[in-house]
Amino acid sequence: MALIELKNINYCYSPGTAFEKHALRDVSMAVDAGESVGLIGHTGSGKSTLIRHFNGLLRPNSGQVVYQGNDLWKKPNEIRSIRFQIGLVFQYPEAQIFEDTVGKDIAYGPRNMGIGQEEMNARIRESLQCVGLDNSYLERNPFRLSGGEMRRVAIAGVLAMRPKVLILDEPAAGLDPEGRHALFDALRHYRRKSGAAVVLVSHSMEDIADFVDRVVVLDQGSVALDGPVASIFAQAEKLVSIGLDIPQSTKVLLGLKAKGYSVKTEAYTVEQAEQELLRFLKEADRP
Amino acid sequence: MTRDLTVGQFIPGHSLMHRLDPRTKLMLTFLFIIQVFLTKSALSLIFLLLLLWIYIVCAQVPARKVFRAVRPIIPVIIVTALLNIFYVSGHVLWHYAFLRITDQGLFTGFTLLVRLITLIAGCSLITYTTSLNALASGLEQLLAPLKRLHFPVSELSMTLSITLRFLPTLAEELDRIIEAQKARGAQFATGTILNRIRAFFPVILPLFMSAFRRAFELTNAIECRCYHGGEGRTKLHPLKLGRRDYAAVIFFLAAFAMTLIFNSIRQPF
Ligand SMILES: Nc1ncnc2c1ncn2[C@@H]1O[C@H](COP(=O)(O)OP(=O)(O)OP(=O)(O)O)[C@@H](O)[C@H]1O
Ligand SMILES: [Mg+2]
Repeated sequence: MALIELKNINYCYSPGTAFEKHALRDVSMAVDAGESVGLIGHTGSGKSTLIRHFNGLLRPNSGQVVYQGNDLWKKPNEIRSIRFQIGLVFQYPEAQIFEDTVGKDIAYGPRNMGIGQEEMNARIRESLQCVGLDNSYLERNPFRLSGGEMRRVAIAGVLAMRPKVLILDEPAAGLDPEGRHALFDALRHYRRKSGAAVVLVSHSMEDIADFVDRVVVLDQGSVALDGPVASIFAQAEKLVSIGLDIPQSTKVLLGLKAKGYSVKTEAYTVEQAEQELLRFLKEADRP
Repeated sequence: MTRDLTVGQFIPGHSLMHRLDPRTKLMLTFLFIIQVFLTKSALSLIFLLLLLWIYIVCAQVPARKVFRAVRPIIPVIIVTALLNIFYVSGHVLWHYAFLRITDQGLFTGFTLLVRLITLIAGCSLITYTTSLNALASGLEQLLAPLKRLHFPVSELSMTLSITLRFLPTLAEELDRIIEAQKARGAQFATGTILNRIRAFFPVILPLFMSAFRRAFELTNAIECRCYHGGEGRTKLHPLKLGRRDYAAVIFFLAAFAMTLIFNSIRQPF
């Protein structure tokens, strides 16, 4: 059984006004425990709207959100306790920082959960370490950190709640390559340690290919494709037709193939492409 | 939720009323208000209702929306009307202890009711058919003569339009921050008053931080484009009075005169 499942979600912004916008149409998707799912789609396709349904920030006009077999909106008073299990990291999460020290800000979520001081300290240190910052940051003023450091502090604030499902909306937007690597290492580290499921919203096909097992493609508010990474990126034409892209390394291989070289095109990360090219070169050397 | 507040009530459209110059609409609204206050007789009251109906049709705003604008103040209107019913002297129709209802009182109360509703409904039309930006720039031009008195009209209107421009942005930001803190378990509507106030710090502080950041960025951007105050600035879309506007003014003045005439015709009340 899926850990969390969205069933036939419909959502409309400002219904009944001139600004009415049907943002989601009959969207269904499921996330299993420990799975990592990528959510991609053109700008305005409804990704951010969709992830707000996972933890009950938006109430669907019709359809169900089922977490561990329970309908979220059957008992609206319990949604708050479910939010602690489904961590949501918004686009530009550094905007949510408000305390004067990094430690206090990370403590905000766990304190809302009612966690005791001792465990709190442990959690703060652990999540700070997880995002690759050391304990010297604890007493620092978050507003004096660099953008990338602030981002990691904000994410640590969500990790400290130890969510079973972690949802991130374009966490790497605006970070330099190094910051991006550090961020994804942190996420991998958290997954390995906690076994949490991760939903990653991203515009970067490289990040998606690198990090997730399964991809859900949204197009104008409905699910266009849903499947393993390989089967999604194999449909390059369909992706391009809905305004998306395929990873650069896949493009290189497709280009070579079009020129008549017999390379396999099922490589989505740089490492896979490298291996395939080396294999091809070795075979080509042989007479 | 907050977004609905900040768009104002503006309903985009292309009706006759939408296309009038904001200056015309501001002045005509003022004229209409005076007209409502001058309405005294039964005949001019009926005329006023007819006018309101014409204006609603010209604005192509659903009547439902116009009455939604009136609804919040209906209790106030009713109380005012009731007080009038009991306090105005005239032929006594009914009395009990110190309470008495007179024919004049009944008429005054009723007139007041209709006039106030018409007033609010009429004024709501301008907000339904004019965007806040258009209103601001109309106001600027109307106040332009005050520049002679060294009143900083352009600066004030620049401030006003920046405020209007950033209201929706800040409202969106507010929504986002509220959601982010809710996702971390924030609760806003429970507990003691002190706790409720405390619950808002995690929202207000980031909002201020971002407002300040935006203000500094905007100041830099404005200075980089050599802004030096209102002296000699022209507009991208200068307001222009058209034939439509003159026609509207003539119509309103005629209607105003009709009200005065209807007031003076001898009637039962
Ligand atoms: N608060 C809102 N009110 C009205 N419409 C909205 C609101 N938020 C989003 N929308 C609209 O809903 C649609 C989906 O928006 P959403 O933010 O979910 O897109 P997205 O896939 O996250 O895009 P991006 O990749 O740019 O972040 C868009 O057309 C957007 O204009
Ligand atoms: Mg988005």
